[in-house]
Amino acid sequence: MDLENQARIKDLAAQYGADELVVVLGGAEAEASGLAAETVATGDPTFAGPLAGVPLGLKAYHMFELKDQVDAGIYEDQISMMEMVLDVDAIIEEVKTYRG
Amino acid sequence: MAKAVLKGAAYALIQANDMALYQGSTATSERRSAPESDFLKELPQHFRSFADTVAYAPNQAYIGNIRPRELRELPRPWYANPLANAKADGKYGAIIDEQALYGLMKAVDVFDLVLLEAGFLAAAKQQLLTLDGVAAWKCLERLDKNPADAAAIAEQLSEHHAEPLYYQQQVVGCVKRAHEFDAALSAHVMLENLVAKASAAFCLQQLLNKSELQADEVEYIIECSEEACGDMNQRGGGNFAKAIGEICGCVNATGSDTRSFCAGPAHAAVEAAALIASGVYRHVLIIAGGASAKLGMNSRDHVKKGLPMLEDCLGAFAVHFAEDDGVSPVIRLDAVGRHRIGSGASPQAVMQAIVADPLDKAGLAIADIDVFSAEMQNPDITEPAGAGDVPASNFKMIAALGVMRGEFAKADLPQIVERIGMPGFAPTQGHIPSGVPFLGHCREMLLSGEARRAMIIGKGSLFLGRLTNLFDGVSFVIEANSGASSASSVAAAVAKTRVGLTIMGSEHPATELVKGAEQAAAADPNLEVVLIGSGVSSELQLIEAADAESARAKLDELLSAGQLDAAATMHYSFPLGVSTVGRVITPAYGKKLYLGNTTGTSATERVAALVRNAVSAIACAKACGNAAPTLGLLNIEGARAAERILRKMQANGYAINFADSDRADGGSVMRGNDLLRGVPDIMIADSLTGNVLVKMFSAFNSGGSYEALGDGYGPGVGENYGRVINIISRASGAPVIAGALAYAAACARGKLPQLAAAEFAAARKAGMEQLLSESCDNAPPAAEQVSAPPEKVVTEEIPGIEVFEIENAVQHLWKHGIYASGGMGCTGPVVLVADEDHQKAVELLKEAQYL
Repeated sequence: MDLENQARIKDLAAQYGADELVVVLGGAEAEASGLAAETVATGDPTFAGPLAGVPLGLKAYHMFELKDQVDAGIYEDQISMMEMVLDVDAIIEEVKTYRG
Repeated sequence: MAKAVLKGAAYALIQANDMALYQGSTATSERRSAPESDFLKELPQHFRSFADTVAYAPNQAYIGNIRPRELRELPRPWYANPLANAKADGKYGAIIDEQALYGLMKAVDVFDLVLLEAGFLAAAKQQLLTLDGVAAWKCLERLDKNPADAAAIAEQLSEHHAEPLYYQQQVVGCVKRAHEFDAALSAHVMLENLVAKASAAFCLQQLLNKSELQADEVEYIIECSEEACGDMNQRGGGNFAKAIGEICGCVNATGSDTRSFCAGPAHAAVEAAALIASGVYRHVLIIAGGASAKLGMNSRDHVKKGLPMLEDCLGAFAVHFAEDDGVSPVIRLDAVGRHRIGSGASPQAVMQAIVADPLDKAGLAIADIDVFSAEMQNPDITEPAGAGDVPASNFKMIAALGVMRGEFAKADLPQIVERIGMPGFAPTQGHIPSGVPFLGHCREMLLSGEARRAMIIGKGSLFLGRLTNLFDGVSFVIEANSGASSASSVAAAVAKTRVGLTIMGSEHPATELVKGAEQAAAADPNLEVVLIGSGVSSELQLIEAADAESARAKLDELLSAGQLDAAATMHYSFPLGVSTVGRVITPAYGKKLYLGNTTGTSATERVAALVRNAVSAIACAKACGNAAPTLGLLNIEGARAAERILRKMQANGYAINFADSDRADGGSVMRGNDLLRGVPDIMIADSLTGNVLVKMFSAFNSGGSYEALGDGYGPGVGENYGRVINIISRASGAPVIAGALAYAAACARGKLPQLAAAEFAAARKAGMEQLLSESCDNAPPAAEQVSAPPEKVVTEEIPGIEVFEIENAVQHLWKHGIYASGGMGCTGPVVLVADEDHQKAVELLKEAQYL
């Protein structure tokens, strides 16, 4: 996960508390999305960024999982095409595993 | 506007292993942080030999020796399966090595910045003398001057911040800085810029070698690489273009540089075509050399996974655009796509802006494009680095967009991707893969008829410059030149429109329908009518069918197989959501009027149906060449409510030209006079009314039994309806049959299904669905009981309120203490109020949206 994003999430968690945050992912494939979910849950597994050894315990959801939470028209306009292009099931499956 | 054509394209690859190790950004970053790292030690062991680089199949596709789609037949990874008998010289260009590169850099170096050791210099000169065209460059003289010795080079490197030039891991020279402390002229920057200049000049020479273009014909050069030249006062001031043209003797050219990261070449191509089409220049080139920084960009992953260093080549291209020669493929400047600043960055928004929007503008469908070229990065390189198969993702997105537009079935996605795409074959040099590597192949495919139309797409990540997070994308369509040999089957197929006509089941003899068909065919040489039925003889093609039912089945079959572009038939069952837009001749002035709709059901709710009819009819008029039709609504129940919704959609950005009634009180709700005079171009009515009107206008002299005037009940139009099927009736006579066939042909040529999809998309964007659902909520009289204020004498009429809302409007005024009553005025329902309450009542009704 991008080091700058790790820093931003770490700061937000410090500011608002981990209980007040969920992370919404938009990754295009399962492995990278899972890596991001893992980073915000148990810490940066590559030990490269600010979240190395920092288990924030945040829950991450991929945008595909939040379809019912958002305006259907906006989802249709912005995301529905990518549902056909990407491996939605694999991404959700992978991201889920890090929510404990 | 004149046409601009794609006249030629050349491509070059320059293998530069040592440059990857010493100037590639991945290796130099590593050297800065960990100079002794294993990666740096291991990287040279992953260098390919020149022969391996030449035999690498994607490189052979890049220089034109194999078609990109031939790569599908070759087993992956391609580096493990070299091509036998591969040549460094290709149909569109050549592959050369690093020694030649350094020689070229020395040759094009006007400021004596490149130092090469004497022995190396002599060998490089000998090599350059073997290269076609380059051998004649006047600037090769520089290789005879100022050879350097090892000590001088070492001093430059240790004392003056020069950039080393390694060949086979030995220092053979250096590039000096061009200024003592100006960072824009540092040795590193000068090396990058000289590489870009030298590689582009070599590629331009390939274009001159391999096409008919003469150097002195070139009038303008647009350079579109990703480097920047200038000094500290104008770091990217330019101009690479003239510097490169100068080397190759383009003495009559000027030029400039265009930048937009990887989208730069697509911008440059559009600019070049526009300069030609506008008549400013006749011959324009777009050119770009390679990027030394990107050599070995993903080599860390490649080394880790035991692959060769696949990013060992600088890429370059030179493409020639020229005025129309009647043969070369044409750039469709009416189908240029651009990612607008306001388009949004989601992949869907990007694809809409650069693929769907330009096609809609030109009346084309995704299915009309035989092949797309977008970000042609080689997956051998990107997949092991975790970046996936970039072109495959693009083709999937384009196909998915087609599914969303109702052009393809979702189940067909894999086949569509296969049909419109090709494997990536370009080196990952940023601007190099972005669409343009395909132009050489594209030109040949369009010339041979292998493809009719292609779309080239460039995309750029602007955030890299840290000035904006915006994305960029530009696209353009290239198609076969219709001025090419008219015998070409491709051109002929494009020109003729085939319309089927079922001739069974009429109240008239079948010969009456044949007569109409023959009239239509005689009136339009590009219309081919195919009769479906039996028992008649005609010059026209007849496909046998015994009765009305089997004729319709045959018609369906021919439409599905793509053997007909459109049809005219009786009693066709359209799905819900599809209704017809008729075209009649109005009697007062003989003006043609589109009637939406005349049969079929666009929606079950009345107001929704009227609104949808308006969108369908606008699409129809546009398909037939009326770009901005005027629209009126017949004064029937629901018209006022529909008008209000349409006006709100207009305010939300959906383009509607409302017509103005000829009557003194005006407005876009139309009366009998307006109907007879054909005041609007389009008249909206419900399906039953529209149906009666067609009969009235076409058969008022025959008591209905012979329809003599107009173009029939029109084509079925719907949001996702892909066919053009015009409805005639059993009473339609020969003139109406002829009119219906011509109308159907015009709709097919105007791409009615795509236009309708685009119109409905625009209407939805303007909130059509939301407005319709709100109107349904309001429609039933749901007002609570309000008691009437003291009665007054009411003399003032307020017209324009929907009839089923009159009672609610009255109650609404009562609630505000104004006495009102409903009534019927001479033009429709009215609310009556006292003179002194008139102004306030109008205000209240407007506020509550009754008016």
